[in-house]
This record gives sequence, C-alpha cells and structure tokens, in this order.
Amino acid sequence: MRPNGIALRQNFLLHHARQLGTLSGLLVLGLVLWVLTPHFLTLSNLLNVAEQATIIAIVAVGMTFVILTAGIDLSVGSVLAFAGVVMASALHAGAPLPFALLAGLVTGTVCGLVNGLLITLGRLPPFIATLGMMSVARGTALMYTGGRPISGFSENFRWLATGEVLRVPIPVIVMIGIYAIAFFVLTRTKLGRYTYAIGGNEEATHLSGVNVRFYKTVVYGLAGLFSGLAAILLTARLNSAQPIAGMMYELDAIAATVIGGTSLLGGEGNVLGTLIGALIMAVLRNGLNLLGVSSFLQQVVIGSVIIVAVLIDMALKRRGKYS
Amino acid sequence: MKKLLIMMLLILIALIGCQRGGDRAGGPPKIAFVMKTANNPFFIEMQKGAEQAAQRLGVNLIVQAADREVDVEKQMQIVENLIQAKVAALCVTPSGSREIVPAIDKANRAGIPVVIVDTRVDEKALSESHGKIAAFIGSDNYEGGKVAGEFLAKRLGGKGKVAVLEGIPGHETGDSRLRGFREAIKATPEIQIVASQTANWERDQGFNVFQNILQSHPDVQAVFACSDLMALGAVEAIAAAKKTGQIVVVGFDALAEARKAVEQGTMEATVAQSPATMGELAVENAYRLLKGEQIKPEITVPIKLITKENVTSQ
Repeated sequence: MRPNGIALRQNFLLHHARQLGTLSGLLVLGLVLWVLTPHFLTLSNLLNVAEQATIIAIVAVGMTFVILTAGIDLSVGSVLAFAGVVMASALHAGAPLPFALLAGLVTGTVCGLVNGLLITLGRLPPFIATLGMMSVARGTALMYTGGRPISGFSENFRWLATGEVLRVPIPVIVMIGIYAIAFFVLTRTKLGRYTYAIGGNEEATHLSGVNVRFYKTVVYGLAGLFSGLAAILLTARLNSAQPIAGMMYELDAIAATVIGGTSLLGGEGNVLGTLIGALIMAVLRNGLNLLGVSSFLQQVVIGSVIIVAVLIDMALKRRGKYS
Repeated sequence: MKKLLIMMLLILIALIGCQRGGDRAGGPPKIAFVMKTANNPFFIEMQKGAEQAAQRLGVNLIVQAADREVDVEKQMQIVENLIQAKVAALCVTPSGSREIVPAIDKANRAGIPVVIVDTRVDEKALSESHGKIAAFIGSDNYEGGKVAGEFLAKRLGGKGKVAVLEGIPGHETGDSRLRGFREAIKATPEIQIVASQTANWERDQGFNVFQNILQSHPDVQAVFACSDLMALGAVEAIAAAKKTGQIVVVGFDALAEARKAVEQGTMEATVAQSPATMGELAVENAYRLLKGEQIKPEITVPIKLITKENVTSQ
C-alpha cells in the first residue's frame, strides 16, 4: 500500500512534520540549557556533544532500518564489542590498517546477516533471534579475548577519533556522511522503498513479488555493518577494544530511533528523526553533567524524556489521522 | 499542541527564575569527583568522605558517575562534559585502567589537574600518550590480596582446597588482589586453588558462580572473593547448600554488611580499605593543588585485615 506515488508524497510531508516536532524538542532543550548554564552554548561544547552522540547515532541508523521493517535488533551492542575485538586483534597482529578496519566491518556484517537468516529462513521472531545473537556475540568476544581488553593502537588509527577537520571531529563527519547515505538509500532506492513496504504490510509486499526474505536479511546485515563501524570509532576513541563494550547500547539506539518518531510497528519513520533523537539523548546527558545533577536523577530524567517524546508523537499522529 | 507550548514556556520561565547559581568567577573552587558508580556501598562511603572534606574546605563539589561501573565510554563522556563545565580540578576512579587515558589527555589539554583515586591508571598507556596525573590515592591491593592469602593459609593449617571469585578481568584492583592472593598461596604448596572464576563484582553472580563451584567441588574448604559483595553472595550460596560454618569465606572491602557477617561468623575475614578516607584525601589534595601547594604523587591509604578479634561493625 505504501509505494503508491501520491500516498508516498503525503507520507513524506507527514514525516517531515514529525521530524520538525522532534527538532523543536531539541531546540527547546537547548534553550533551557542555554539559560541554565553558560557552558552549554559554546562551540567547543556543541562539538563535544556531537562527538558523544556519534556512536549511538551510527548504531541507531541500522536500528532504524530494522525497526522500519517492524523488526528489532537486540544484538547491536554485543556485535559492536565482537567486531571491536576482532579488529583490535588484527591491528595488534600487525595487519595493515585498511585490512583491520575491513575485518571489523565484515565481522559486524556477518553477525547481522546471521540474524537475518535466522529470522527469514529460520522463521524466528526478530526478538528471539537477536536476543540469542546478543549472548553469542558477547560470549564469543569474551572467549576470544579471555575477558581482557585489547588496547594501545597507532596514532594513525586513533586519528579516526582524535582527528579534526576545521575543528570538526572526524567521528562527527563520519556520522553526517552515514546519515546522508542512509537518507538517500531510504528515500531514493529500491532497498529503501521495500524496507518501508515490508514494515507497512509484509504479506502484501511479498504478494506483489518482492523478495522479502532477501531484503530483510540485507537490512539486518546493515545493522551489523553499522555496529562494526561504531566499533571502529569507539575503539579509536577509548584507545581500547573491550569485550564488554557496548552493553545496553541496543536500548539507547532503540530510544534514539523511537524519540525520532519511528514507529515500533514498522513502516513509519525516518533516519533524520533518529539523528535528532540521538542528539537529544546526548544533549540531555551533557546538560545534566554540566549542571551537576545527581546521576540517579539523570536516569529518571532521561527515561521521562523518552516517554514524553513518544506521547507527544502519538498525540500528533492521532490528530494527523482524524483531522 | 498549544497547551504543550504553554506548559514548556511556563517551565522555561520557572527555570529562568532560579538560574545560574554558583557559576560566578571568584566563588568557591569547583572540584569534580567522577566515581565508577554511585550505587555500590564502597563508592557511597567514598562519596561521603569526599563531601565531608568539601564542606570542611568550602569546596563546590560535583559528584558524578555512570549508571554501570564498567561503562568506560559513559565515564569518558562525563569527564568531557565536566571539562566543558570548566571545573578547576578532577578526581576520578577509573572504570578502566587504560580506557581512562584519553580522558586524562583531554583534561591535560584543558589544563585541569587530575587526581586518580582507588584504581591505578595503566603506566604504559599513560606514558605512551604523554598523559600526566597529579596524584594517585588508593590502597595497596596487591598487599591486601597477600594478607588475605596468608590468613587463609594459616586458617586451613597450610593444607586444603580453595576457590576464588574474581572481579572483572582487566580491572587493575581485582587483578592486583588476585596476584597478591596467588603469591601468598604459592608459598604453601599443599593448598590448591581448585576453581577461580569471575563473578563480575556482583552479589547475585557471586551466589550463582559459587553455587556452581560447590556442585563441581563439593569438598572445597575455603573461598576468597575479590570483593565483599561477591563474598556475601557466596555466603548465601553456602547457606542454601546448608554448609554454613564449614567453608571459610574471606572477602575484600570491609563493607558494613561484611563486618556484620564477620561478627556473626558467616565470614571469617575481610580486608578493610577506607573508601571514606580515599574520598576525603582526594578532595583535600585537589584543593591543596589548586592553592598552589605541592602534593605527594602517591598517597597510600592503609589496609587492615578484619577478623572476629578486631571487628567493629559501625
């Protein structure tokens, strides 16, 4: 029902309206922090926040694809850890930098594809398949390293996190590039259209001759690929790859996606919203740190924001439907 | 939507009403204390000590911690954010000995002195990045592990089977305790370590892991846990197996609950660190540093073995 020309265009406007809502949420948050502390609205702090958002933001791109198909991927944090230690051990074994980076990306992608195959060929619910992968990837990472972090890398590799172009940190540039590509893929390619279609009505998509299994598997593969990419940046940032890295990142990524207006039921949403969602989470944490708010209260605030964001979103959606 | 906007506006006005306290220049010095976590009794005591010192010295103290003890990335974000908040000095208990180094570098670049508390920074990683710390304040964990090992060896009469509950691998504090303990056990060749597994510093995992060890080694006579929380978990596992009093439990940290267990006899000993003293010394030394005084680069907080003879549960 979705890939119909007129419906698509109307949806497009609706999506943009929703993103504007999320964006104004981010701006209000920024305004409040600007009033409360002189340290928030400085160039160095804004770049700092953007850099802090990158890891979750990149993981959340893959999550958005998955959730658009009405699926879920709980394994992204564990896959990130596994890809990170594989890449780190390749670097320590003296592999050339591009090869090591590729090893990390391939590890992530393979884990994602296995998820996809379990879901499509194995007919497992995504929740179960990726829950299993979450444990398998984590356990493999722990076994592979004996539980110890692998740390200490060359300046060349670390440049991926410490480097800057015109004061903008490299991870931020990578993040913007990834979102531009993901936006293009979702709005302008067959893969993107089918991603929405599968989430909108999987049965109808299948009946209209789309190879649903293939595209779903690719989408989970993408989620793995983005976890691998996030692993590279996180390892460079900490100068260490930890087998216990990325714990609970799946929940942060889901939160960013949902705050950004993507429906957990699939078929509705956009990566731009997800980017704003990831930024909202980073700005919140940053602001609460700047204000010296107790770390317990921080958890309450972050949880409340997630709930309020989705409440507003749903209220707007209802209005859109009935007016 | 309109209601929502009005509500937000009201909140905004309310917030403006109570804005920007304590950010003026010339106020009390702002010192930040970044702990591994704020929900573990050890760190709660450390926070209390730090707060007392702050009050005594008139310091504006900000205490922050990640939700989870091992979340090195969140800890790094907190440090970055506090650098942006222009704190005058930073006290940090590193979540990862190596992973904290990039954060130290950033503080160095911002000209903010860093006092490391409780967990050492990896020397090699620090020197490779040319990072600098102002001081380390903590107990000698290696010595603590050794004292615990010697106590166990003596208690078992130099002979027997021992199990170990380890902390998270790669954590400097746990690793040092373990090395010290093994060193002491090595001196008595008839004592055998039959199982040595991690319980990730957690109480429920201490329970589960030790329950499993009891299944595979029902004849184990003693357990050394690298932290009291894991030791208390083991105590419950022993109780569940109806073996209370038959297995010697030695922990580490001397938490209030562990002291009580020693008094009651469910635990035999625990190594006392003084987290409150650590917190106090950290703030005190950071304060002295800001006043331009010289401080010692290494400040050791004494350890003590707590047994039934000298236990005082406060």
